[in-house]
Amino acid sequence: MMSDQDLSRRTFLKVAGVTAALAASGGVPEGLFASEKRFARFPEKTDLIVLTSRPPQLETPMSHFRDLITPNESLFVRWHLANIPTSVDLNTWRLKVGGNTEKELQLSMEDLRKFEKVTYTAVIQCSGNSRSFFEPRVAGGQWEHGAMGNVTWSGARMKDILSMAGIKAGSVDVSFDGLDRPPLPTVPDFIKSLAIDKATEDDIIIAYEMNGVPLTMLNGFPARLIVPGWYATYWVKALSEIVVHTKTYEEFWMKPAYRIPDNACGCVPPGTTPKKTVPIHRMTTRSFVIAPAEKAELKKNVPVEIMGIAFSGGYSIRDVIVSVDAGKSWREASLGDDKGRYSWRQWFFPWRPQKPGTYTLMAKATNSIGESQPFEGLWNPAGYLWNKVEKTPVTVR
Amino acid sequence: MKSIFALVVIILAISFESVGAGDNLKTISLPQVNVELREGDGKAKTVTLCAVCHSLDYITTQPALTRAQWTGTMNKMIKVMGAPISEEDAGIITGYLTKQYGSGN
Ligand code: HEC
Repeated sequence: MMSDQDLSRRTFLKVAGVTAALAASGGVPEGLFASEKRFARFPEKTDLIVLTSRPPQLETPMSHFRDLITPNESLFVRWHLANIPTSVDLNTWRLKVGGNTEKELQLSMEDLRKFEKVTYTAVIQCSGNSRSFFEPRVAGGQWEHGAMGNVTWSGARMKDILSMAGIKAGSVDVSFDGLDRPPLPTVPDFIKSLAIDKATEDDIIIAYEMNGVPLTMLNGFPARLIVPGWYATYWVKALSEIVVHTKTYEEFWMKPAYRIPDNACGCVPPGTTPKKTVPIHRMTTRSFVIAPAEKAELKKNVPVEIMGIAFSGGYSIRDVIVSVDAGKSWREASLGDDKGRYSWRQWFFPWRPQKPGTYTLMAKATNSIGESQPFEGLWNPAGYLWNKVEKTPVTVR
Repeated sequence: MKSIFALVVIILAISFESVGAGDNLKTISLPQVNVELREGDGKAKTVTLCAVCHSLDYITTQPALTRAQWTGTMNKMIKVMGAPISEEDAGIITGYLTKQYGSGN
């Protein structure tokens, strides 16, 4: 097996700013690579931040979130197992559906497209988005806020597919496997499960299009599960097999992986271990200032429109309040187009800074069932659910 | 000359994302990204044994972890993922990670 070292001659990597310049001059200081952001362009993707390369975990820079819809080439990438699909032939690809069902199905892409086509916009967000802000720090993908995006998905209802197969009595869970395979046989295959009642909800679809075109390979071509409102760990990519189970399905990626403390906040005192855990599920409520960007320089007495985004785990955004003085005073932002309860909502806030100085911009969203954001980050050992009110410092000259 | 060749390789790598064969076959080729670990005792073993299942940036992009956290990660790789690493080598690698990528406690 080739190691990363052997491949170094064929490297193509664009490293950000200072690191690239230093590397070109042969003078990269010890350890600089570890802390600097690395960028690379993967197939069907624009330049994204590389967390890991094999398998790829690629993060979207915040500036891409100015758009209501995240372009396919900008959307983050997160795989678990190194053997990811790099070639799929739709002539032979089939989605198997079986287990505790009347029939076993072998659906081709043509078959999938025959089911009623459902389209909606939904935020996709990695469970570990923003993990790098946890204190004390925790191991795992060190995402900033870019493991998210807002995409219009189209596909077939899971419910329709399962009813074609015929769910038999006594069904409890449904598991989802993709084409990605473990690098060694000892590594647990990436398989996720949903309770049968969840899997047959109206809005759970198997998507074969993102933003109106087939999925990119790195985002799960030819089809992936969409569980809107829930973290993307369930949105299994490059689906190959769906199995209905008569028992709770609890292999590695359901237990002990991807669990949160079993309490209202999904949190424990920093550095401690929860007594009881449950599988991670619905997303917490979040909001971000997108423009002006962090550390932007503004001119006094020149009006700017602060804009950002807000979303929650499947409940529409009721309001977003904004502060330009580090949380001392707050006013309500106006909300942009409503693309449904799974989409993020843009918000806008006109501002005319009158005095030079440093300002801290903050936004806080509340959803239709009153869920909002804490001012301090909540902690859990795996680095999930992060949703504190963020601070965006800017300078006025 | 060498750099022109490299550039051609890059362009091929990027453009290799087409759908061919009656639009039913889709193939991509992944770029190779180089990762250099810090110099130190145990580096060679770490490079050989930790790159079996994934790239070494899994190590370099971690925050400065405590000895307990690196030991926990090593245990996960060996006991859960089945990394074929002897106890002796595990000790050497944990020492290397704690020294080069550790928080100092
Ligand atoms: C047998 C396969 C295998 C080997 C060998 C292996 N790893 Fe891993 N490692 C994995 C898998 C699979 C993941 C991905 C987990 C995920 O994506 O959630 C991982 C993830 C990681 C992570 C990210 C944090 C985490 O816990 O997920 C670190 C750090 C890591 N490995 C370090 C190492 C080190 C150091 C070695 C060498 C001692 C090593 N790995 C060898 C399979 C392996």
